[in-house]
Amino acid sequence: MRRFDYLRPKSLKEALQLKKTIAGAKYISGGTDLIVQIKNRELQPTTLISLRSIPELARIEINGGARIGALATISDLIQHIELGHNYPVLIAAAKRLGSLQIRNVATTGGNLCNCSPSADMALPLLVLEAKVRLQSAKASREIPLSEFFKGPGKSCLSSDEIMTDILLEPPSQKTKATFLKKGRVKMDLAIASLALLVEIEGGRCRKARIAAGSVASMPLRLFDVEALLEGSTISKDSVSKAQQLARDTVSPITDLRATEEYRRHVVGVYMKRGLEKVFG
Amino acid sequence: MKNFHYIGKETPRPDAPDKAAGKALYIHDLERPGMLYGKIKFSNHPHARIKHIDASKAERLNGVRAVITANNSPEVRLGFLGDNVALKKDKVRQYRDEIAAVAAIDPDTAEEAVELIKVEYEPLPGLFSPQEAMKKGSPLIHETDAQGRPRTDNLVPLRYRHQSGDLDAGKRAAKYVAEGEFSTPRVQQCCMGTAGCIAEFDMNSNLTIWAKTQIPFLAQRDFNRALSDMGLRDKNTRIIVPALGGGFGTGLDTHAYEYIAILLAYKTGRPVKIVYARDEEFAYLSPRQSSITKITQGCDQNGRLTFREVEVLQDNGAYTSWGATYPSVMMMPATSLYRVSNIYFNAKLVYTNNTFCQAMRGYGNPEHTWALESNSDELAREAGVDPYEFRIINCNKPKETTPMGFKVSTCGLKECLQTVAKKLDWKKQNKKGKCRGKGMASLVHVGGGGRIYRSDASGLILKLDDFGNVNAYHGGVEMGQGLHSVLTLGIAEALGVRPDKVFINPLDTSTCPWDVGTHASRGAFMACNAAILAANKLRGKIFKLAEELFPQEAEKNLKKYRKKNPGYKPPAFDFVKEAKKERFDLKDGSIFIKGAPPEPWLSLDLGRLLRAIHFRTQGQMLATEVFYDPPNELPDFAKGFGNISATYAYGTQGAEVEVDTETGEVKILRMVAAHDVGKVLNPRALKGQIYGALAQGIGYALYEELQSEKGKIVNPNFRDYKIPTAQEMNFPIDLEFIETNDSFGPFGAKGVAEPGLVPTAPAIANAIYDAVGIRVRDLPITPEKILSALKKLKASKG
Repeated sequence: MRRFDYLRPKSLKEALQLKKTIAGAKYISGGTDLIVQIKNRELQPTTLISLRSIPELARIEINGGARIGALATISDLIQHIELGHNYPVLIAAAKRLGSLQIRNVATTGGNLCNCSPSADMALPLLVLEAKVRLQSAKASREIPLSEFFKGPGKSCLSSDEIMTDILLEPPSQKTKATFLKKGRVKMDLAIASLALLVEIEGGRCRKARIAAGSVASMPLRLFDVEALLEGSTISKDSVSKAQQLARDTVSPITDLRATEEYRRHVVGVYMKRGLEKVFG
Repeated sequence: MKNFHYIGKETPRPDAPDKAAGKALYIHDLERPGMLYGKIKFSNHPHARIKHIDASKAERLNGVRAVITANNSPEVRLGFLGDNVALKKDKVRQYRDEIAAVAAIDPDTAEEAVELIKVEYEPLPGLFSPQEAMKKGSPLIHETDAQGRPRTDNLVPLRYRHQSGDLDAGKRAAKYVAEGEFSTPRVQQCCMGTAGCIAEFDMNSNLTIWAKTQIPFLAQRDFNRALSDMGLRDKNTRIIVPALGGGFGTGLDTHAYEYIAILLAYKTGRPVKIVYARDEEFAYLSPRQSSITKITQGCDQNGRLTFREVEVLQDNGAYTSWGATYPSVMMMPATSLYRVSNIYFNAKLVYTNNTFCQAMRGYGNPEHTWALESNSDELAREAGVDPYEFRIINCNKPKETTPMGFKVSTCGLKECLQTVAKKLDWKKQNKKGKCRGKGMASLVHVGGGGRIYRSDASGLILKLDDFGNVNAYHGGVEMGQGLHSVLTLGIAEALGVRPDKVFINPLDTSTCPWDVGTHASRGAFMACNAAILAANKLRGKIFKLAEELFPQEAEKNLKKYRKKNPGYKPPAFDFVKEAKKERFDLKDGSIFIKGAPPEPWLSLDLGRLLRAIHFRTQGQMLATEVFYDPPNELPDFAKGFGNISATYAYGTQGAEVEVDTETGEVKILRMVAAHDVGKVLNPRALKGQIYGALAQGIGYALYEELQSEKGKIVNPNFRDYKIPTAQEMNFPIDLEFIETNDSFGPFGAKGVAEPGLVPTAPAIANAIYDAVGIRVRDLPITPEKILSALKKLKASKG
């Protein structure tokens, strides 16, 4: 591993300032992805600026909706009782992320900013229609998470910005959600995963939000399947159509973890199982 | 049956507290004054001529103390065929070929220096499968053999063949036949502690090496030969074995990195440490060899086997290590699992540009049992015989001699089969509509040593001190399997002292007696047999001296006892007359006369007797040394004959699984295992061995594969090389030990380090077949393979 400097600013302002002045600097939060990349020499930063000493970044607030500090660890989410009560699908995904040791250091914002197509936290946050707040020295902006990802390792986060918060709308009593993940073993990167949130009224699907992981260049909202389901009654036929459309909509690749065909297949099966689950 | 004091009792391992507390010192923890860090430059071509190596930049880097290549250092040959050298000169034959190495003041500098070494290659066509490499006109991977004689093909010059009975007659007698081709992947041993060593020379040019090895004494021979290659004639190697974080066969050979550390240490005059990072362990250490097995078996109308025909093809990789000798072990189940008299077995090994392979737990047996027990299930179903009944019909029996010449002493296979069938509720129908099924598979393995070298012996020195402690010096390696636990119990039991009075000393070739190595499930069998020999010798010495000294010491005791208990009348017992060496016994560290009244003063503490022996005029201290060589023979593997082991271990494992036919996932609901272990030495340690092996077997069955693309390992990390974790082992394991009390076994015990792995994969595969009617023939059985087989099944049913 190449040598690098390590700085630990105490405020967001200082963190943003440091990044501007030091060439080749990178922010680090949990480091569970970043350190691996540095060790593999995919990244060679001159300086790591840790965000872990900025207390407001790790806070979780319930305020009708929720504000999750980007530095909140996955274990922080799991241990937060109200958050779990309000957004169980978020916790279901959190529990499947890595190992206990990883969950204790990996952060929610880090999982998103790493922009992996398999990011476990992205899926429930996509179906919950979360927004993320991005802060630069000059300005702050809020954007829907669905617009955040731009490709593997790519997002709309610019180099002078820090993701500070993940914002959730108040939970709806009328919705039901589920998270499904397939790994080669239980503790694994997803080879295919799916989050599903639906609002049902009188056997009819009023609203559907679906996101799939590891089946495209980024965590993907399946808008076509959502449109297919919304307004329709849930039957064997519509489930089967959704399964087929989910399979067809995604664009996975073959790599050493799974083939394209298998990823497609699993997303279809999960689409069906997810619907069966939320519709009882 | 004999009543034992310590043997068979649930006992914690003596090494466990230090290991759990982080106090045990592994190679990673060790440092020497002035130590340098070595790093190796590996090839990035699978097959190429080395045109030029430019190490000048690396040499100039601050903190670098030496850069070695084949151009500036002596040639050191390695491998039992001598087809490999520590540093490659003209040609690379696999991605992991060592081109150069650096010694530097810290690991970062060493790594930076290695990156500065530039190598020019002229790429050659690569051969990545044995079929491809066998083709006429294929480029030669080795143009000459170790002696410089030209080679004409890529076949490895090793012969493994067995022929017995009359194959054609066997075929004619067969009413039912099953034929299949089964393959297994390369898998990694995945030791928790990665490979590494520290090499250091003294001023007389003798070498000390701290090595992660399972064969310290054969390694001493190998390294002494290397010293001689380096021009250091008649110099010696001392090997010190630190705590090992797992061996699983990785320590059965000496490695290029060790020779490189030796070369760097000699060049710099300083200790040099090389330790592999996890990705290096995956990519640059030899894994388990892959195999392709064609097997045909036939049986008569009653389900009795009439013949077995086997052709094995192995991808040897670029060089030869112990992976190339797997067929010697494959022959064992091929000839000796179930009774069959007409057998043909032949194995071929081919050089390729893939990574070369070494030993791993089971050593060819899991590979072959995978084929054999899958095929046996198919044959049973073909014949309309229940697979369990089929195995009972063909079951091995005690006192038989197998076609390979194995003299079976005890054999609990039938009991193992019955136990597994009972525990699995074999006859009970599977739940309808659930895609559940049951399967079983059996094994035979060496359980009484394995003579693959001229000597299969194990030495032991026991040294008593003034306090009644026993210091043991043994050549066997504790690598996490629990050898010290059973050796401690064995010594305590055989000698008659408490286990906490027994201390096993660190393994050092300069203090410990010779042992061929800790492999072939032989550790406990050898160590405890040696313990019994040594203890009997020591007891003889102790009792002889007690004849002289017991009366006077007992007299002193009695005087003291009377002072404390006025008016005490000793029973009528003439201890002076009775103090004869053959009358003494030693238990829990006390010497007494058998049949004497149980008076406390008539029992003498061992420490006290030893002090009395030590401190008299012309005193002496007691120690003894033994060399146990088991009654087995070195087989001729080209003829496939020889009683390789003093006794054989048998076992059966069963699985109940549920298959998700939509995702192809296999869920193991439970596993049962029954093993003929001869005699349980330490139940806790034994359970650990079986559970661990079984988990490794599940990895082999369902998850593990060292994937390579054109010879390059593409999943050299635990992110993409998946082993079962606690979440996969989330099912009950019902374990039962069958005690056959083998007459060759120490206290009746057989070796059982490997058996738990051996039949796991076919048991699971047979259960999958039972559940959904498909058979995947290449390991690992992944969900994708299951789905594709289900698809084919559906298509064939129309």
